[in-house]
Amino acid sequence: MILEVKKLKKVYGDKTVVNIDHVQIRAGETIGLVGNNGAGKTTFFRMILDLIRPTEGEVLSKDKNVANGDDWKNYTASFLDEGFLIDYLTPEEYFTFIGSLNNLSVADVGAYLTQYADFFNGEILNSGKYIRDFSKGNQNKVGIAAALMQKPELLILDEPFANLDPTTQIRLKQLLKTYPGNMTTFISSHDLNHVTDVCSRIILVEKGKVIKDFKTDENTLKELESYFSA
Amino acid sequence: MLSTFLSHQRKSFWRSRNRGGSIATQILLGFFMLYFLAVAVGIGFGMNIFLPKVFKGVNILTSFNGIILYYFAFDFVMRLQLQELPTLSIIPYLHLKVTKYKIIGFLNIKALFSAFNLWPIFLFFPFIFTEIIDEYGAFAAVMYAVAILSITVFNNYLILYIKRKSITNVLYTLGGFILIAIFGALEYFKIISLISVSDTVFRAIGERPYLGFAFTILAFAVFKLNSDFLLKNLYVEELGTKQERKVSTDYAFLNRFGKVGELAALELKLILRHKRSRSSVILGLFFLLYGFFFYRQKLIDTDSFGKMMFAGIFMTGVSIIIYGQFMFAWQSSHFDGLLSNKINFKNFIKAKFLLFTIGSTIISLLSTFYGFMSWKLVVMHLVCYLYNIGFGTVIVLYLATFNYKRIDITKAASFNYQGTGATQWLLMFPYALTPMLMYLPFSLLDLPYWGLFTIGTFGVLMLLMRGFWVNLITAKFEKQRYKIAEGFRE
Repeated sequence: MILEVKKLKKVYGDKTVVNIDHVQIRAGETIGLVGNNGAGKTTFFRMILDLIRPTEGEVLSKDKNVANGDDWKNYTASFLDEGFLIDYLTPEEYFTFIGSLNNLSVADVGAYLTQYADFFNGEILNSGKYIRDFSKGNQNKVGIAAALMQKPELLILDEPFANLDPTTQIRLKQLLKTYPGNMTTFISSHDLNHVTDVCSRIILVEKGKVIKDFKTDENTLKELESYFSA
Repeated sequence: MLSTFLSHQRKSFWRSRNRGGSIATQILLGFFMLYFLAVAVGIGFGMNIFLPKVFKGVNILTSFNGIILYYFAFDFVMRLQLQELPTLSIIPYLHLKVTKYKIIGFLNIKALFSAFNLWPIFLFFPFIFTEIIDEYGAFAAVMYAVAILSITVFNNYLILYIKRKSITNVLYTLGGFILIAIFGALEYFKIISLISVSDTVFRAIGERPYLGFAFTILAFAVFKLNSDFLLKNLYVEELGTKQERKVSTDYAFLNRFGKVGELAALELKLILRHKRSRSSVILGLFFLLYGFFFYRQKLIDTDSFGKMMFAGIFMTGVSIIIYGQFMFAWQSSHFDGLLSNKINFKNFIKAKFLLFTIGSTIISLLSTFYGFMSWKLVVMHLVCYLYNIGFGTVIVLYLATFNYKRIDITKAASFNYQGTGATQWLLMFPYALTPMLMYLPFSLLDLPYWGLFTIGTFGVLMLLMRGFWVNLITAKFEKQRYKIAEGFRE
């Protein structure tokens, strides 16, 4: 089990932000986390990444509690928001740095980046700018590409389609669908079309609780739309 | 319209996030301002006492006239560094139904709200309306005042024009100070005298008061130049400083330290690529002059190291103290990224130690120029250096794990007290008191060199124990990391 969540709870003051009884994620699954603002998606992701200490319960990655060790970092890559980017670096420096953390040489990183020439649309590399000077969409691209570069077994992205232009959204969908290897993907999105298209399983959350957890089929989009319009 | 703008400005000041929480720092800043204004008033009214003392045997009017241009040269250089461009605040109005003239008018008025524009009034007016009025009469005194105000306005808008036109940097300011120093030296050796130029100019105003309007014309010309430039270039991207092409860099000398070196390189880039951290570095260099206030020949002769040690600790450890007081918060904007990536916390802490050691070593080497005063100072600095890298680093990093305040390092540096709290000031106590307390018994027994030896040995011992300290701080950091990360997210 690549990811297992048990009785996970986060309380701020008297407000319960996340309250998830049990969720299991098997290797190779592509899962979409869907819910309105304030449903606790980002807090949930942060607890999976050990950035927030749960009030109760635990997150197990390959049967080990993420709060008690760093092993999960060896096979997990993530991009939640710009807070994950080191924004005073040039994109090249950032990729090299992230690469070096994963024992990739400068040449490896360079070779990897050439595959992404299309994805970057000529705006990222050799731009003579620091990451902080990029638009939000381009910052997103840098973060997503850096996460994919680590060839993770578990990939976690928070609203990866936000701020991206239509072409890039389509490219990203293809990347996520066809990415080689046995990668488990866990993404959140407000775009129901995209998640149902990419994901094989949808977890629907509301006010911190899992409302629905089901495999996608041709009726999923309709179901979700009717849920959210109600 | 103008009053609406000004009221928005007032609101943005009082409602801004950084200010709201830290009323205390506001009060502190207020006291600083009051203090400097009081000093200016004091000097202003004391002119006829101070001037004869500084310029012995010179006619008081000559020396008063003489210092005016010097003051404004100094004023110019200071403004170059400290006066800020009032541009960004207009962005929300550019697309609204507000004429450009009104926006520019607002910018011009706002630029006048600067302490630099007050000082000349306090400094020069008392003398003008007590002494000049006696010498040349009321009309001449008024024209003196007009001239002073005109030069103030001239400087004010010229600086803005220069800042808008080009990228100024700290080097220009440094160059300006050196230039003034050179003129001072030339004055001293009686080669070229700016004082006599200044005297001639203002004596002329005294005798033919209407000449004072020449300055007014100049001031108006610069004002017009500035406004016209604004009118033609009222685009946000053109008003700010121009963007240079950024290049990737690699610090080869850090590569030998492996992963630790990479993290240190990352932080070195952080320091060099942000205004606030860069000016901390410059500030550190200025603090190298601190010793001149503390080191007296008498103290050196009597081996009174206890009285000089504070300066020694501070100078050799300035990089640790100034940079270390905001430790971890420098990285607050990407702290989540650091935590979720494959970074070993131990390496993370080690990188800080490495950076501190390098910084302290460089500045300690620079501080050896005090050896010209006495070799004893070099010995004391060596001892302070050992203490700083051995134990000072430990104190700073340990206390850093209690600092949860986010700082935005992209904001300007001068007078930025964001993220400053009581802990920052408390830091200095254990830091400076530890070595002094160690030295005290030896000082009482009249064994100053044994005192130095003890502190030095202590430093070396702590340096040898660094592995232990790294583990201790790493453990503390791991425990505190959720709290720190939460604080940095705001």
